[in-house]
Amino acid sequence: MSKRLKHRLRSVAVVAALLILPQVVQERYFLHIVVMAGIYTIMTMSWNLLAGYSGQLNLGHAAFFGIGAYSSALLAMKLGVSPWFGLLGGGVIAGFFGFLLGFPALRLSGPYLAITTIGFAEILRLVAVNWVDLTRGSLGLSGIPLLTPIRLGSWGMEFYFERDYYYVVLAAVVFTYFCMLRFTHSEFGVSLQALRDDEQGAQSIGIHTSQYKLAVFTISAFFAGMAGGLFAHFTRLVSPDTMSLHVTFDTLTMTMIGGLGTTAGPILGAVLLSLLSEWLRTLEDFFRMDIRLVLYGFLLILTIRFMREGLVGVVRALKEGFSSYGKGRNAGGDHD
Amino acid sequence: MAKAGTPVAIMTEILKIENLTKYFGGLCAVDSVSFSLDEKVIMGLIGPNGAGKTTLVNMISGAIPPNHGRILFNGTDIAGHKAHAINNRGIARTFQVVRIFSKLTALENVMAGLVDRRQKGPWRLAFASLVGGFGKQSQNPENRAAAEGLLELVGIGGYRDELAENLPYALTKRLEIARALATRPKLLLLDEPSSGLNPAELVDQIALIREINKQGITILIIEHVMKVIMDISDRLVVIHYGKKIADGKPEAVYTDPNVVEAYLGGESHAAR
Ligand SMILES: Nc1ncnc2c1ncn2[C@@H]1O[C@H](COP(=O)(O)OP(=O)(O)O)[C@@H](O)[C@H]1O
Ligand SMILES: [Mg+2]
Repeated sequence: MSKRLKHRLRSVAVVAALLILPQVVQERYFLHIVVMAGIYTIMTMSWNLLAGYSGQLNLGHAAFFGIGAYSSALLAMKLGVSPWFGLLGGGVIAGFFGFLLGFPALRLSGPYLAITTIGFAEILRLVAVNWVDLTRGSLGLSGIPLLTPIRLGSWGMEFYFERDYYYVVLAAVVFTYFCMLRFTHSEFGVSLQALRDDEQGAQSIGIHTSQYKLAVFTISAFFAGMAGGLFAHFTRLVSPDTMSLHVTFDTLTMTMIGGLGTTAGPILGAVLLSLLSEWLRTLEDFFRMDIRLVLYGFLLILTIRFMREGLVGVVRALKEGFSSYGKGRNAGGDHD
Repeated sequence: MAKAGTPVAIMTEILKIENLTKYFGGLCAVDSVSFSLDEKVIMGLIGPNGAGKTTLVNMISGAIPPNHGRILFNGTDIAGHKAHAINNRGIARTFQVVRIFSKLTALENVMAGLVDRRQKGPWRLAFASLVGGFGKQSQNPENRAAAEGLLELVGIGGYRDELAENLPYALTKRLEIARALATRPKLLLLDEPSSGLNPAELVDQIALIREINKQGITILIIEHVMKVIMDISDRLVVIHYGKKIADGKPEAVYTDPNVVEAYLGGESHAAR
């Protein structure tokens, strides 16, 4: 009970700190980075559900991000749909594409699935480049509308500044986190992990693995699409680059370094690497190259080689180390 | 007990296999095998290595489709049905080489089996996980208790929170039995559950299989260890090069000249 209370209190403290952050640090550039980190957090959490919990190595996640970004931008620009519904619409459309990408996953796995999903994203990127009438090609869509103001009686909120978007993205991150927590810690999540660990074993206990794969591809794509929509209305510029492999690679790197298949890993990875890569950018002039990628690659190798559960694994090991150290001392005390 | 004058309960056939055949390329791994199995019986399935026993179980459980023949389970032909659908109908199995969920705990392995999958597909479970009450649903108390009960039954209750990948091999075989039982089967297929067990563990194993059978579950067991199979089978079927060569009471089958020939003539692997 007291442990649970402690847990609750800690959650409340974290949320409170996040809520007052933009009041404390008002520098817009910093808040821009934090908002982008939040958007990436939604990407990593959704990719983690697919790759970490279900074992489906999807390397086309950027496609869902891009589809969400384009859909939500175009819904607002061409059809005049409120961006708020556009966010949802972008998620739903991305979810539909996720469902479609689920079908090859029924027959393929491992590297074959990975390559197929890269191809899928690449095709969609080329569509975005070439369908100039709709997407304005490689120029991209610009002048995407801001999120429309919210009014509740006398209270209102407008969306001009990073600070305002910060709260929207924070809400989306918390919502996504809550959903992922529920998904993974339920009969649904146990079933996904079962099919990840042994597909034939899962089928032998009645798990309709094909349906689960389609469902998890759809769900994961929905959240990635929502992240794309937030990105579109925040940066107000969407280009085919949103679907390029480097977006997937960033997502993958953040998730793996944070801790694949863990609850906190994707958040930890996305936030730390986003901040780190901004800092590294300032060193670019000094190194005269993109030091970022070198470091990412290095960290990734370290993670895969030594710590499969990433930073979460490191923290866990340290905690266990401390507690067993404590126990060791206690045992010694008993001896006396 | 049946009253005097009333007929003894008629045995009902739970499984009937007709001319079941499987080719792997040119190799006929199972060659027109037929037998039927009455409810609540323990049937042993033996034969030298490579005889086709696992292939037979794979077809009954839906892991692979047969080329010919029928598999009637409670009167319905399930030949070629998908593995998950066959499990939903009430057939569960274990594997010769274990297929446990290595990154889940022993308890979670069993709980994965407990989900009522006839009623709940992924969409419904995903939705339920979002709107359900707070707290971890994978640990809802009823399921948890049931899962713990099954782990106790197979004798690994003390390992419930251990990751399956950390269990010794012999215990993973038992975990697989618990997981299979979690799906509430009417027919349980066991593929060499005793391989790698020491003599003391074999005694436990025999008791466990008897106990499962006592709960009304029909059992088809593939076994290399003769002591186990002779001890617990009500009936024994022998296959050799994919063909059925003997079928009957264990004692009768054991002395059948065809069987003796098969074991002594071929690689006499199982003739202990
Ligand atoms: N998936 C497969 N592909 C090709 N041949 C197989 C396959 N599975 C089994 N076999 C072959 O079928 C025969 C029967 O194998 P199996 O059923 O595993 O025998 P048993 O379980 O009686 O030892 C063997 O010759 C084996 O090599
Ligand atoms: Mg075998």
